[in-house]
Amino acid sequence: MKFASSAKLAAVVVSAALALTACGGSGNSGSSSGAVDGKGKKLSVLTGVNAQYSAQQKQWFTDIAAKFKAQTGADIEFETFASANDELTRIQTSVVSGQGPDVYSLGTTFTPTAYATKAFVTLSDDDWNKVGGKSRFNQAALGISGPDAQHQAGIPFVSRPFVMAYNKDLLAAAGIDKPATTWDELEAQAKKMTNPATGTYGLATGYKDNYDPWKFIWAMSVQAGNPLVDGKTLKLDDPAVKKAYETYFGWLTKDKVVDPASVGWSNSNAVAAFASGKAGYLMMTTSSSLPTLEKSAVAGKYAYATMPTAAPGDSSPKGDAANAASILSGDNVVVADYSKQKDLAFAYINLITSKDEQLNFQKIFGDLPANADALKSLANPQLQPVADTAAKSKATPFTGAWGDIQLALMNVTVQSIPDLAKGSVDDSALESRLKDAQSKGQASLDRASK
Amino acid sequence: MSTDSLTAGKPTRRKSTHAATPEPQVPDTPPRRKGLSERNRPLWMLIPGGLLMVIIIVLPMLLGIYMSSLDLDQYSLRQWVSAPFIGVQNFVEALTGSPLLHAIWLSVSYSLIAMVVTIPLGIAAAVATQNAFKGRALVRSIFLVPYVLPSFVVATVWRTMFQPGSVIDSALHSVGINAGLWLNGPQSYWTLILVQIWASWPFVYLLALSGLQSVDHEVHEASALDGALWWNKLRYVVFPYLKGPLSLAFLIGMLHHINNFTLPFVLFGVPAPSDVELLPTLTYVTSFQSFRFGLSAAMAFISLILIAIPLFIYLRAVKLDDAETPGGKK
Amino acid sequence: MSTATTAVGTAPQEGFRPGSRRQHEVTRLLPGPLLAIILTVLCALVLIPVAYIFLASLNSDIGVARGEFFPSTFSFENYSTIWSSVGLATGLTNSVLVAGSTAIVSALMSIATAYVLVRYQFRGRLTILRGLLALQSVPGTLMVLPVFVLFSSAASYLGIQVIGTQWGLFVTYLTFAMPFSTWVMVTYLRGLPRELEEAARIDGASNLGVLVRIILPLSWPGVVVSGIFAFLLGWNDVLFASVMTRPESQTAAVALQIFGASQEGGAIPFYGQMMAASLVCAAPVVILYLIFQRYLVGGLTAGGVK
Repeated sequence: MKFASSAKLAAVVVSAALALTACGGSGNSGSSSGAVDGKGKKLSVLTGVNAQYSAQQKQWFTDIAAKFKAQTGADIEFETFASANDELTRIQTSVVSGQGPDVYSLGTTFTPTAYATKAFVTLSDDDWNKVGGKSRFNQAALGISGPDAQHQAGIPFVSRPFVMAYNKDLLAAAGIDKPATTWDELEAQAKKMTNPATGTYGLATGYKDNYDPWKFIWAMSVQAGNPLVDGKTLKLDDPAVKKAYETYFGWLTKDKVVDPASVGWSNSNAVAAFASGKAGYLMMTTSSSLPTLEKSAVAGKYAYATMPTAAPGDSSPKGDAANAASILSGDNVVVADYSKQKDLAFAYINLITSKDEQLNFQKIFGDLPANADALKSLANPQLQPVADTAAKSKATPFTGAWGDIQLALMNVTVQSIPDLAKGSVDDSALESRLKDAQSKGQASLDRASK
Repeated sequence: MSTDSLTAGKPTRRKSTHAATPEPQVPDTPPRRKGLSERNRPLWMLIPGGLLMVIIIVLPMLLGIYMSSLDLDQYSLRQWVSAPFIGVQNFVEALTGSPLLHAIWLSVSYSLIAMVVTIPLGIAAAVATQNAFKGRALVRSIFLVPYVLPSFVVATVWRTMFQPGSVIDSALHSVGINAGLWLNGPQSYWTLILVQIWASWPFVYLLALSGLQSVDHEVHEASALDGALWWNKLRYVVFPYLKGPLSLAFLIGMLHHINNFTLPFVLFGVPAPSDVELLPTLTYVTSFQSFRFGLSAAMAFISLILIAIPLFIYLRAVKLDDAETPGGKK
Repeated sequence: MSTATTAVGTAPQEGFRPGSRRQHEVTRLLPGPLLAIILTVLCALVLIPVAYIFLASLNSDIGVARGEFFPSTFSFENYSTIWSSVGLATGLTNSVLVAGSTAIVSALMSIATAYVLVRYQFRGRLTILRGLLALQSVPGTLMVLPVFVLFSSAASYLGIQVIGTQWGLFVTYLTFAMPFSTWVMVTYLRGLPRELEEAARIDGASNLGVLVRIILPLSWPGVVVSGIFAFLLGWNDVLFASVMTRPESQTAAVALQIFGASQEGGAIPFYGQMMAASLVCAAPVVILYLIFQRYLVGGLTAGGVK
């Protein structure tokens, strides 16, 4: 039959093409050397879209492209992705097909997963020199570039540490002279500011956010001396983790210092509550909230502060706890292994991590520089606490299983939400959820260390 | 009831004004079996579409099935062709070590409930806009709006409306109902159904509308002559014409619901509450967050088979694939 | 191409539009009061959330995040900013181009396919019909990666750049729309009487001639419906479009989603602009539908066929 035979033919053609792709899956690297001459070439860069400053971002793309053209003669094509999920999809498809952008911008917590694919260049000393040398960067920011100092793929681009914002008026009205530095103190202060009659609560945070909850648990656990991942073992069944969940859930169930509605909030709802002056503290935020807050009812009445570093129950930070004020957060850039113009890619990274460009970027978008000199020369009192926190940030465990561990931590919160809404989380239920998280995360960790 | 008696007289009156009586319906028995010609078949017309589907659906699907037998994760992704072949191990893990079966059950049951509600809604809308009235064009366009809005906008809107203490809660509160959580816990399942119904009933409406167009005018006249009540006329005269399109709507609607990823993803986020841990969410998370594409492909493949079986039973039952009993014929 | 078929399609219909009062009464399906109730309920069902979207598009982002229904502050500013911030113009152009051509081509291809499947007997006919439905049940999440691999190998080994072009999207959507469009046409064509076809054949018309001159004009409502479905498939897809487009070939749905996604750590999504943009995006489809819906009626309804 005509139909069948043509279909067969097509099938043969295409499967042949597929077989060919398969063989050529790993492209070999370009072999250019010396000064970078990119005339006639085009570098493709994938970066996160900045919806808050979309016009400025477009302008920045144009400016950088012009400067890059002047330096190397090559063009740049910028592509943007909407969310972490989009980016994962893009990375996966590019990795499998061996074609796609040359340079990716990655969130820090995703760097380990990306590293595990081995699809990105692990930088040699020579490569580091091409981007201005390792010493150019804020050394703390290098903490999540690779599993160890010799194997690093992620080049720090910006830091975006997590801090809290506080409403100066509300704190003053409650007779609090400075923001809390321990979780216990935070709880006590929050209680003082809470007044359900006026709809005012001590803390604003979203329990249904897709990311925030695990960061609280991570911070409190690490501060209590449990880094969650210890070599090949996952430690989610540790009392410190349980205590962290109890504290975090307790704000809602026992202390009642958060809006009961926050059980269904995402981070943006919390920002909105804080912005309308209904909350003393806005937890787990970054300098990205600045533009929203500046346009809001609390403009001029708020300040940023480092989140508490003493684990629940502790009166002062123990051990290395003081350096776990936030996850090491921000963006790294990585160069795709399949890229045929790696030198050009390094030249681009060299450009955007230079002191001037980093300061310029900070001015426009608010993210902190990863360039050490640029970070030092920052002089914005409002952002000082954020910059301080950048130095006190700790990297999340560097393993390809981190994505799953994070998901497991999140799942404990998600499945507890109905209980939270009812007013109490049953102890045995929490334990069984933690057990479940432990076994899922451990299974993933086992795959990683295989 | 009162509407019945009110309209009962109308067809009779209409009958009298309708002087020219058309000849009664003679079933134009088409020559069975012979009707499907075997001579001079323009089979070439199947080629363009067939070719496309083979290249862009069948081939990638086979590729996906092949991937399901590989230990494909972030560690082996880059050289996926040389990823270790592990046979049915992914399938075993999907069936025993993952919430796949639960997810399939949730997906199918929610799709079914949503579908059962959307069909009457769609029919009602189609029947109501069948006859011309002032502003009909506008109403018809309004009906299309939920279907036209992108899924994630629909989901975002409903998500904000279902937020604790938001619009819906305060509306219910004012009539004395305290509804509890919409986006988490057992109720989230019904939230999903509700939103899905809202988003997809225009689909049924459109198909029913196209079905109504094939109702012969004589049929209307004949039933007008008989003085049939509106309800009887709908039930015995008009609905038989809708059987084909609606059976199709049911089938396709089910599949759309089952494969709808954006709606639950945006409504409930990831990880999803266990009450709405649906099939697409599960495969998506496995594939793009846990990076276990092999396992995810196995999950998708299992669900494909599990869904295909009832699908074919259904096809048989409604005889949708059998041209000898066309849905639309009298 | 499309204009030609439109001309063919409308010509025989003009005379049969159900104009007269008498015919209207005869074809009336529902008693007045019930009609009013149904219309009111359904319109309310649709319009309340739509009103919410509209109000949110005038509200401040903080207001939306706080769960307000009636904005505390009104502003139409969002409707002007979206054109520069969302890149809506490019997105809309691409979407209209891709979804529009998908709709037209898939409607034409599916009517041909359906015609063969309905009117001719051959081995494998039922298999194809069922297979089409089976194809419809393949989940998108399973397909993204393999389709991408396929297209990228087209670039590497056949020298055809598919990824990032409107062509790639068009072909993908066309293929995914085909099974369903074909089924819509199959159910529709079955309801068509054969007499006219047979008459045309006696006059010596070819297969293609019968299809273009007899079947197509008669099945206009089916074509419009299957076209609408194909159009909306391309219009609303985000999964494939997000991996297969580049900034210049981005569709409106992707542009919108980029806008609605909030980043980690405190920025409130631009709800207002997103809502405004989605209403603006819905408008072309509703307008298209307004234009095409007159072809949804007519034809058989007026009894013009026999």
